[in-house]
Amino acid sequence: MRQAGAYSGLLCGGVSGRTGPHSLPLARIKKIMKNSGEGVKMISGEAPIIFSKACDLFIEELTRRSWIMAIQGKRRTLHKEDLASAVIATDIFDFLITLVSNSDSHAVGGATNVMEVETIDYS
Amino acid sequence: MDQDVQDRALPIANVGRIMKQILPPSAKISKEGKQLMQECVTEFISFVTGEASDKCHKENRKTVNGDDICWALSSLGFDNYAEAIGRYLHIYRQGEREKINHTKKYENPQNQTQINRAPPPPLLLSRVENPPPTNQSG
Repeated sequence: MRQAGAYSGLLCGGVSGRTGPHSLPLARIKKIMKNSGEGVKMISGEAPIIFSKACDLFIEELTRRSWIMAIQGKRRTLHKEDLASAVIATDIFDFLITLVSNSDSHAVGGATNVMEVETIDYS
Repeated sequence: MDQDVQDRALPIANVGRIMKQILPPSAKISKEGKQLMQECVTEFISFVTGEASDKCHKENRKTVNGDDICWALSSLGFDNYAEAIGRYLHIYRQGEREKINHTKKYENPQNQTQINRAPPPPLLLSRVENPPPTNQSG
């Protein structure tokens, strides 16, 4: 009988039948990769799979940092302004500043008193 | 967001669900918040893929693979992600290897018969008698 242990790390994250064990649809990730530039020729089968995991980590970190912004504003609903503030406050998210600035966010331009956020450790 | 643009982004339901799992149960997420996260994560994929693709181009390779993604994450400052993804990739590749071995076993019933017929050598016996402790990482 096949050992379940080898697959438990991959399968325990499953959320719906449509995406299999992954929380995001792999075909869509592959399509986005293809559309990212002329230079992308071929994509190995494993690339969208590990990108699915990377996106989980990205969404987790940005959501956590955005939530801190919402809490600072004494709110229980996470708004796009909170995401914009989190992007502005975090160096590794610099590539998103143009994107969040294009949305009509009040957080952009105005000085924001930002609490220092410790790096999230994924150990 | 029109349909064409929407087809090029990740589904908002999946993104919203992941966000929900991270926040406390009492937290709410506005629709605009989900939409912006949807756009951010789509941009993240394009950004990292572009970096990985540049590396492939410099090395005269045509296929972007898992290692290229890990390298790109690290070079763009997402070191923690690169570490976590590296472990994930390792587990995935192990799974793929086991899948291949499993398939071979059933594709060659003749070999299985031969293996059963031959007496096992002492090394195999000692290996079976003292199996290594299974690694529960993951």
